[in-house]
Amino acid sequence: MKKSLIILCAFLIGGLISNCQQKKENLTKIGVCAPLTGDQAKMGNDILNGVKLAVEEWNTKGGILGQRIEIATGDDRHDPKEAISVAHKMVNEGVIGVIGHFNSSCSIPASFVYHDASIPQISPASTNPQLTSQGFKNVFRTCGRDDQQGSIGAEFVINELRKKRIAVLHDKTTYGQGLADEFKKNIGKSNRASIVAYEGIVQGSGDYKAVLTKLKSRRPEVVYFGGVYPEGGLLVKQMRELGMKAIFVSGDGVIDPEFLRIAGDAALGTFLSFGPSVKEIPHARHFIESYEEKYGEIGPYSVYAYDAANILLSSIQSAGSTDGEKISEAIHNIRHEGALGTIQFNANGDVLVAPYIFWVVKKIKTEDGKEKLNFVPYT
Amino acid sequence: MFLQQLINGLTVGSVYALIAIGYTMVYGILEFINFAHGEIYMLGAYLGIIAIGLLTAMGLGNSSAFLLLAFAFIFAMVFCAFYGVTIERLAYRPLRRAPRLAPLLSALGVSIFLQNFVMVTQGTRNKVFPQLFAQNGFDLGNAKITYIQIMILVTSILLMVGLTLFVNKTKMGKAMRATSQDQKMAYLVGIDVNRVISVTFLIGSALGAAAGVMVALYYGLVNFHIGYTAGLKAFTAAVLGGIGNIPGAMLGGIILGLVESLGAGYLSSEYKDAYAFIILVLLLIFRPQGILGERLKERS
Repeated sequence: MKKSLIILCAFLIGGLISNCQQKKENLTKIGVCAPLTGDQAKMGNDILNGVKLAVEEWNTKGGILGQRIEIATGDDRHDPKEAISVAHKMVNEGVIGVIGHFNSSCSIPASFVYHDASIPQISPASTNPQLTSQGFKNVFRTCGRDDQQGSIGAEFVINELRKKRIAVLHDKTTYGQGLADEFKKNIGKSNRASIVAYEGIVQGSGDYKAVLTKLKSRRPEVVYFGGVYPEGGLLVKQMRELGMKAIFVSGDGVIDPEFLRIAGDAALGTFLSFGPSVKEIPHARHFIESYEEKYGEIGPYSVYAYDAANILLSSIQSAGSTDGEKISEAIHNIRHEGALGTIQFNANGDVLVAPYIFWVVKKIKTEDGKEKLNFVPYT
Repeated sequence: MFLQQLINGLTVGSVYALIAIGYTMVYGILEFINFAHGEIYMLGAYLGIIAIGLLTAMGLGNSSAFLLLAFAFIFAMVFCAFYGVTIERLAYRPLRRAPRLAPLLSALGVSIFLQNFVMVTQGTRNKVFPQLFAQNGFDLGNAKITYIQIMILVTSILLMVGLTLFVNKTKMGKAMRATSQDQKMAYLVGIDVNRVISVTFLIGSALGAAAGVMVALYYGLVNFHIGYTAGLKAFTAAVLGGIGNIPGAMLGGIILGLVESLGAGYLSSEYKDAYAFIILVLLLIFRPQGILGERLKERS
C-alpha cells in the first residue's frame, strides 16, 4: 500500500516536471474552447476537428512564424461558469488566439476574459447579437447573427409558409431565447401573422408534453423553437405524439443528424434556417475531401471552425507578431478566401455577408436503396 | 386540455413514484438517503438499450415488440438489482456503525463514480432508444394517450401492487417491516438483518431500473446525467409522501407528476422544475412528516 502511494506520488511529481518542460518549447499555441463532453459534445468535437485540420495543414507547410502550432483545448461543457474558468486557463497557457466558444451563453462571458488579456477570439457558432456589440476589438465570429436569422425565419413563415397562428418556444438560454425573441419581434411587426403562445422550456428535462398540451389548445399552425437539437428532437416527437400537426421551424442549433435520430419520422417536414450547404460552395471541395478522410461525417460547424482557424493563423502571419492587438487589427483587415467563400469582417467583428437559407427534413434514397431522413436545402 | 395534462402528469408521476420507492425503502430501514439511487435509474435506462442492442445483434431484433421489451425490463432489473446489492456491500455496510454523515457522503461518492463510469464507457453523446412502438395511441375526446403511456401506467401499477403484496403478505416482507421498526430487536428475534437490507436494495434498485427503461422508451433519449434530476425529483416525492412510507412514496410521486404537468400547462413551463420544490418547501413548513408519514418518535 505504502509503496504504491510512493510510486503514485512519483508519477504525479514527474507529470508536473514534464509539464513545466513543455512550456519552454518553441510553440505557438491557439486555443479551442467548446463543449467537448456532455450532451453537446458532438458540436464541440466537430469544431475541434475543423481547427485540427487547419492546424495540420499549416504545420505541414512549416508552421507559423517559424514555429510549430499546437492546440490547447478547453472544455466548457456548455456551462457559462465553466467557460470563464476555461478562458482563464487559456490565458494562463499563453494561447495567441482562441477559436470558440460554441454557445453564446459561454462566448459572451468568456469574451471579457479574452478582452482583458487582448487575445483575439473567433467564435464559429455563437450567433447571439450581444457577442459583437460590446465594443470589443478582439471579438469576431464566422457565423451569422440571431437577429438576421430571426428576421429571416419570420419572413419565411409569413411569406413562404403563409401561416398565421404562430407559437414560439425557447430553451431559456442566451442563444435560444435570443433567437426566439428576434423571431417574435419580427412576426409582431407584420400584421399578417400573430403569436398565439410564447413559452420557455427547461433544458434537459426530457418531458415537454405539459407545455405542448398547452400549445395545442391554442391551435398554432407553426411552432418556432429557439434552442438546440436534443430538445428540438424531443419537442417535435412529443408534438406528433400529442397529435399536433403544426409545422416545426427552428434555427441552426437544431440542424444536426442527432436531431433526426431522436425525432425519427416525426422530424419530416421540419424547416431549419442555416448557412448554405458546404457541398455547394466551390471553395469548399478541398476542405470536404480532407475532412471526410480524416474525421468522417462533417458536422454543421466544422467548416466555420476551419475557416475561423485559418483566419486566425493567416492574421498572425500577416501581423508578423504574436501580439494580440496587432493580430486583431489584421483580422479586421483580412479578406479571406475560405471554404465558406469570401469572409470579411465589419467594425463589430461580424461577417459582412451572412447568408441564411432554409433546410427541410425529407426522406431520401440512400445508395443501398433504403430510405433515410436527411436535411435538404429548401427551394 | 385538462384531461391531457392529467394523462401526462400521471405518466411522469408513476415513474417518479417507482424511483421514490427505492429512496423510501432504504430510508425506512437504514435511515439514510441513498443518493446513488438516481444513478441506478440511469443505469437501468442504459441497460435497457444494451439489452435491445444485444437482441438485435443476435438477429432477434425483428421479434415482437412485447418480447424485446420484456427482455429489456428483465435484463435491466436483474443487473441493477445486482448493482444495488453490490453498492450496499461495498459502500454502505462497512459504514453501518459510523456517524450518520459517513454513509451519506459515501452515497454521493458512489453517485459521482457511477455517473463518470457511464460517461467514460458509454460516451458523452445522447443515446437514442430504438422505437419499439408506433407513436400513435387512443383518442379520448380531445386528449390522446399513446401506447407507451398505457404501458408505463400499467407496468408501474403492477409493480407497485406486487411490492405492496410482498411487503404485507410474505415472510420477508414481515422481516423488512420489523427491521424498519427496530433493527436491534429484529436481530434479537432471529431476523437476518443483513439479508433484509440486501433484499431492500435489490428491490429498490430493480424498481428504479424499471423506471429507467420506461423513461428511455418514453422519451427515446438517454444520457449519463439523467439520474441527477430524476433522483432529486423522486427524493422530493419520497419526502412529500412521508419518507420511509412506501404508499407515501407512490402518492408523492403521482402528486409531483400532476403538479408539474398542471403547473406547466396552466401557469408557466419556465418554472416547471420549481413547482416540485415549492411544494416541498410548503410541506416541510406545514407538515414536516409528509402526507402519509408519522411523526418521528424521539430517539434516545
